[in-house]
Amino acid sequence: MSNVAMELQDVRKSIGKKEIIKGLTFSIYKGEVFGFIGPNGAGKTTTIRMMVGLMELSHGDVLILGNSIKHDFKNAIREVGAIVENPEMYPFMTGWQNLMHYARMIPGISKERVQEVIKLVGLEKPIKEKVGKYSLGMRQRLGIAQALLHSPSILILDEPTNGLDPAGIREIRQYIRRLAAEENVAVIISSHLLSEIELMCDRIGIIKNGELIATQTVQDTNTAETQDIIQVQMQVSPMNQAVDVLKTDHALEAKSEGETLLFQTEKEKIPEIVRSFVQNDIAIYQVNSSKSSLEDKFFDLIGENTIE
Amino acid sequence: MNNFFKLVYNELFKIYIRKSTWAMYIILAGIIIGVGFLSNIDELSSKQYSDDNWRETLEEENQELTKEMEEAEEDGIFYDMNSNIIAENNYYLENDIQPDGYGAMQFVLENQLLLSLVSLLTIIIAAGIVANEFRWGTIKLLLIRPITRTKALLSKYAAVILFAFFTLLFVLIFSYIIGLIFYGFGSFNPHMLVDDGNGLAYVSVISEIVPAYGFKLVNLVMMATFAFAISTIFRNSALAIGVAIFLMMAANPIMLYFSDRAWAKFILFANTDLSQYTAGSTPFMEGMTLGFSITVLIVYYLLFMALSWAFFTIRDIAGQ
Repeated sequence: MSNVAMELQDVRKSIGKKEIIKGLTFSIYKGEVFGFIGPNGAGKTTTIRMMVGLMELSHGDVLILGNSIKHDFKNAIREVGAIVENPEMYPFMTGWQNLMHYARMIPGISKERVQEVIKLVGLEKPIKEKVGKYSLGMRQRLGIAQALLHSPSILILDEPTNGLDPAGIREIRQYIRRLAAEENVAVIISSHLLSEIELMCDRIGIIKNGELIATQTVQDTNTAETQDIIQVQMQVSPMNQAVDVLKTDHALEAKSEGETLLFQTEKEKIPEIVRSFVQNDIAIYQVNSSKSSLEDKFFDLIGENTIE
Repeated sequence: MNNFFKLVYNELFKIYIRKSTWAMYIILAGIIIGVGFLSNIDELSSKQYSDDNWRETLEEENQELTKEMEEAEEDGIFYDMNSNIIAENNYYLENDIQPDGYGAMQFVLENQLLLSLVSLLTIIIAAGIVANEFRWGTIKLLLIRPITRTKALLSKYAAVILFAFFTLLFVLIFSYIIGLIFYGFGSFNPHMLVDDGNGLAYVSVISEIVPAYGFKLVNLVMMATFAFAISTIFRNSALAIGVAIFLMMAANPIMLYFSDRAWAKFILFANTDLSQYTAGSTPFMEGMTLGFSITVLIVYYLLFMALSWAFFTIRDIAGQ
């Protein structure tokens, strides 16, 4: 079991009488990027706060490389680098002073290491400027730098690409993938941006109302989709007739959105449908198909994006 | 242990890197210069008795003062002040002691009043040191390090006490420098006359500075600890500053109001001024002793610290 970086054992959290986390049990492995997704209010941030010991667990335990966050906080947290919610730093200090501040709190971090990390996140230029003047993207990078200072085995990032420009997002994504692959770091990422999670993560856990409703590898969702049903969008005229044809000839339920006809079917059936449209004198302007993404999967799983 | 010093260093760094801290020091320096300048105009404090005919100078002064007293009404402030000075002058003459001129050391002694300003600044720092981390959101990054919360809290408290100490040193040294500029060196170990309850006594100024500052330090530490506790419990620096400063200012009226109650002696402020037990002073209430006050102070101190600790270590760090 030495491959497990972090293990959650029936983690629960009650505030007052309300149980907001209802028994989470899962493991995160070394060298994997784990995406933690769920709607607002599902308990992502609460779970992350419990993982790093900012909130007390009402029940269960979190083991970090075998050390309990409850009973052996110091040894457990030593292996964790994290950004919890926004990357908040001291605005009246420079980036360098901020990093040195955190470096002093953990034994064995040299100035060279700090410089190395700064280079890694690409903050060499503004590092001597006050953090108050930083853009959100720069603060995000500084936050990641702060989390990496002590070369942790587990990196927890809450919304790491928040505020970054597309180039920055790509850079951070590549960097996270490299950390996992080369340094065998377990990375936990929470995000609302599902496409981001899809690109960055090996495995995702979906949380809703304090319960883990699914964990699956990202490959799974992709391969499953290609074999199955795809989304088809067609621009046709007249619309009513097309809906009828689909219903009578192909037994398919379709809906129309403006000038677009939407329905789901297998890829092989598309030529057949087009042919039947032509035979019925329906003009076809455009045919599009898209495979259902993680986003669709996500909404399938969680249903409406509601806060309860 | 080495680790703890680094934490304290971090906290002090965060205090002294801010411009607002330096603004406090500049204001403090300005006030000391102002006091030095104002009392330099006052001729009494700038009298020198350095030459050989200091006896004549004293006698002349006595004559002048007596004349003033005859002209002025009896029982006035002037009357008391002048008769005090005459008594002191006579003491010098009778005992054949050449009085020390007013110098830097005397100026330092007079600036003991500035310690209430040092208290004020320390309260501001103590009130912010925990609450600000919550306000900035940095508390989260601070507490996910391999450091227990107790240690983090203690390092902050230590930084507050060190800040008070540094600021006190600043007042002492800067007062001495300003004293040197305005009044000159005086003598290395100047002496002065003090009414110790059994008449006048000839004592060293330094031996007066130490207890004068020392007694005020008790109040400073207690109020800083109080502000620190409020700040930790409510996570709100404005509240902590407000309550602590209000209590510091209102301490005397509060004590006056409750002075006829038997339990009033258990109020913190009845005990913060330990100089009430020195010779020539009367305690706030009958039956109060130095031992009693020290016990009460320790109980309050432990209470403040225990509350801070309990709230800081047990509570969840939730979002704003």
